[in-house]
Amino acid sequence: MKKEKISEVIITYAILILVSFVFFFPVLWLVLASFSSTGSIYDYDGFFPKSYSVATYIKLFNDTQMYDYPSWLKNTLFVSGFSCVISTVLVILTAYTMSRFKFKMRKPLMKTTLVLSMFPSFMGMTAVYLIMINFNMINNLWSLILIYSAGAPMGYLVQKGYFDTISASIYEAARIDGASNPTIFWKVTLPLSKPILVYTALTSFAWPWSDFILPNMLLKNRDLWTVAVGLTHLGETEFSRFAAGAIFIAVPIVILYFSLSGFLVAGVSDGAVKQ
Amino acid sequence: MKYMKKGLALTLTAALSIGLCACGSSKQADTASQAGAEQITLRILENDTAKSEGYLDELLNAFNEAYKDKGIQAVDANMEEYSNLAENGPYGYGPDVLYQANDKLMAYAEDKHIMALDRSSFECAEQIPDEAWDAFTVTVDGKQYTCGIPVNVQEPMLFYRKDLLPEGWESTWDADGNGTPDFFESWNSLYQYSKTIVDSSNGEKYGLAAPCNDLYMMAEFIFSYGGYVFGQNEDGTVNSEDIGFAAKDAAKGISALREFAGVMNEECIDDSIKQSRYSKVADGTYFCSISTPDTYVLFYDRLKEVYQAEGLSEDEAAQKATENLGMVELPGKMPSDGELDSDKADLDTVVMGGVNGYGISAYTEHKDACIEFVNFATSYEMITKRAEILGVAPTRSDVASSIGGVTNMIFESLNAGHIYLMPSVKAVDQIWDPMQTLLSDVAKDAFRESKGENVKYADESAIQEALEKASKSIYDAIYTLAN
Repeated sequence: MKKEKISEVIITYAILILVSFVFFFPVLWLVLASFSSTGSIYDYDGFFPKSYSVATYIKLFNDTQMYDYPSWLKNTLFVSGFSCVISTVLVILTAYTMSRFKFKMRKPLMKTTLVLSMFPSFMGMTAVYLIMINFNMINNLWSLILIYSAGAPMGYLVQKGYFDTISASIYEAARIDGASNPTIFWKVTLPLSKPILVYTALTSFAWPWSDFILPNMLLKNRDLWTVAVGLTHLGETEFSRFAAGAIFIAVPIVILYFSLSGFLVAGVSDGAVKQ
Repeated sequence: MKYMKKGLALTLTAALSIGLCACGSSKQADTASQAGAEQITLRILENDTAKSEGYLDELLNAFNEAYKDKGIQAVDANMEEYSNLAENGPYGYGPDVLYQANDKLMAYAEDKHIMALDRSSFECAEQIPDEAWDAFTVTVDGKQYTCGIPVNVQEPMLFYRKDLLPEGWESTWDADGNGTPDFFESWNSLYQYSKTIVDSSNGEKYGLAAPCNDLYMMAEFIFSYGGYVFGQNEDGTVNSEDIGFAAKDAAKGISALREFAGVMNEECIDDSIKQSRYSKVADGTYFCSISTPDTYVLFYDRLKEVYQAEGLSEDEAAQKATENLGMVELPGKMPSDGELDSDKADLDTVVMGGVNGYGISAYTEHKDACIEFVNFATSYEMITKRAEILGVAPTRSDVASSIGGVTNMIFESLNAGHIYLMPSVKAVDQIWDPMQTLLSDVAKDAFRESKGENVKYADESAIQEALEKASKSIYDAIYTLAN
């Protein structure tokens, strides 16, 4: 029995290590490529660069004449930050309303949003482009924030699932104590909903952080580009810079995910299962 | 409840501020159309090389200094170099003046996205040969219009390291004793030299390695043998119904290309060589490669890095790279029978070329100011500066002759008809993909036998059939699928 258990553990670990390696290797390769001293993908000794240096990272932030990475990073942060705040507020309010209040059009609204959310977002790109032109919002970072935030409440179902798990008796007790609806939301619901708030904020931040299609369509000026758009326009001999840019853009989001992973797991699991 | 009202008021104030900020930002972004009555701001779209090498800054500063009292200023459009004028122009987001290759500009001209211009408005007009002007001429209802001002000629060039020329080449590779290695004069010789390198290095080094799937770079294997892109109508206009890739002895040329691919690296089959050629010419893996003159700086930068890695200081490496990076025209002779193994080199090489120039957007609100700018940018001084900084070959004859060297050689080739200019019609967009597929397959064929696969283009008739199929695909793309 003990031997069987040990062999099970060994096999499990072996499979896990193998699978991890399959996923980890491309990332490792990209990290090493970003430290290549020559900058060219064709100078490698087999799979890996012949020599290493941090010159690419220095160039990434200092050589901004053609590729202004610091500006792209600033723009990405601006769009993601504001989209995160506005989207989180809108999604949480929508989910709370759908979860807590029973009104006549609730079910039809839920069904409609469910159906609408099944269509891929890029289906409406041409319409979005024309609308933004008429609003005079091409070449404007706020146009992205507006679109990300306006579309965010469509994905309220996970949050609604979470709010559904909060016992109705808590609300009833608050109501008996004389709390109004806003008071119940601020003082009862939100303190109990930290995991789902963190989950919503993180996902609302991550989408604009890595989106390419929308910013590529709406931002024409180079100095307004986001990192995803800028990296795709790098010259053909700039592979190291591309790798360094891609690695650096991943750092903040990875740190955020790791530091808030506890909340994140609780948010996803609690929101997904109705108790 | 009181706090809720305060909160609501704060939220609404914030929303209003955000809205106002958004409007403000949008206005800032729109330069030309929102410029004040006194100051005209022109948005100039140049290519990336001009920007990265500092020529654009030189041009804008010089123009702004010269026109500071006339209320005109020029700024970098700050857009992607190939951004679509047809998409952005009508809504006021495109540039006022744009610098592009003739096929791109004339595609815009056909759809009326750029203005027709009067040649006599430009000081450079008399210095530019008719061949270059023809590249920017469009015929509508039997009348010819000029839609761009030629600036420089582009043609594929050979890039190599002078310090890697074979020792004693004067005695072994200069049969006619004219001081130029034979392998820069005939394709037969270049093939033989490439074969020698591959054999002596056991396949670790190569002679010529070039992107065989790229029609622009490899068109000499078609045009030199009588092939062409589109025919001409009786009135001299382009007839895009007559597709000439399979004309005359083009199959012989493609057969020669297939033979040459056999002594290249397999990278020549796809696009990877377009990125690797700079490094591999610099480190000596390839003796030479083919690219356009505007990529000179990319070869130069890589070569400088190689010298630095060998222990030279930055200044020494830069000087050595300047001395040793060679750029010459493609070999001028080809074998008429397509047999590179023979010594028969009796055909003149005809390469594909393009003319880059300035066009003025049809959506600009400042046509006269744009003409002033283009006049300034095509003046003797600015074109000379452009040629010096970017190493490009100008279309102005006075600048070409004063600079001399390779620049003048390219200019002379244009005059002598050794450069077949890309036709300036929108239909040109449809030739690239079918021909790229065919050329890639032909190059791949050179490696099939060694891999135990069936050879597809063993004789000229198979190549002729493939060329005809490609021409049919192009015709379908222009006249059937596009409609």
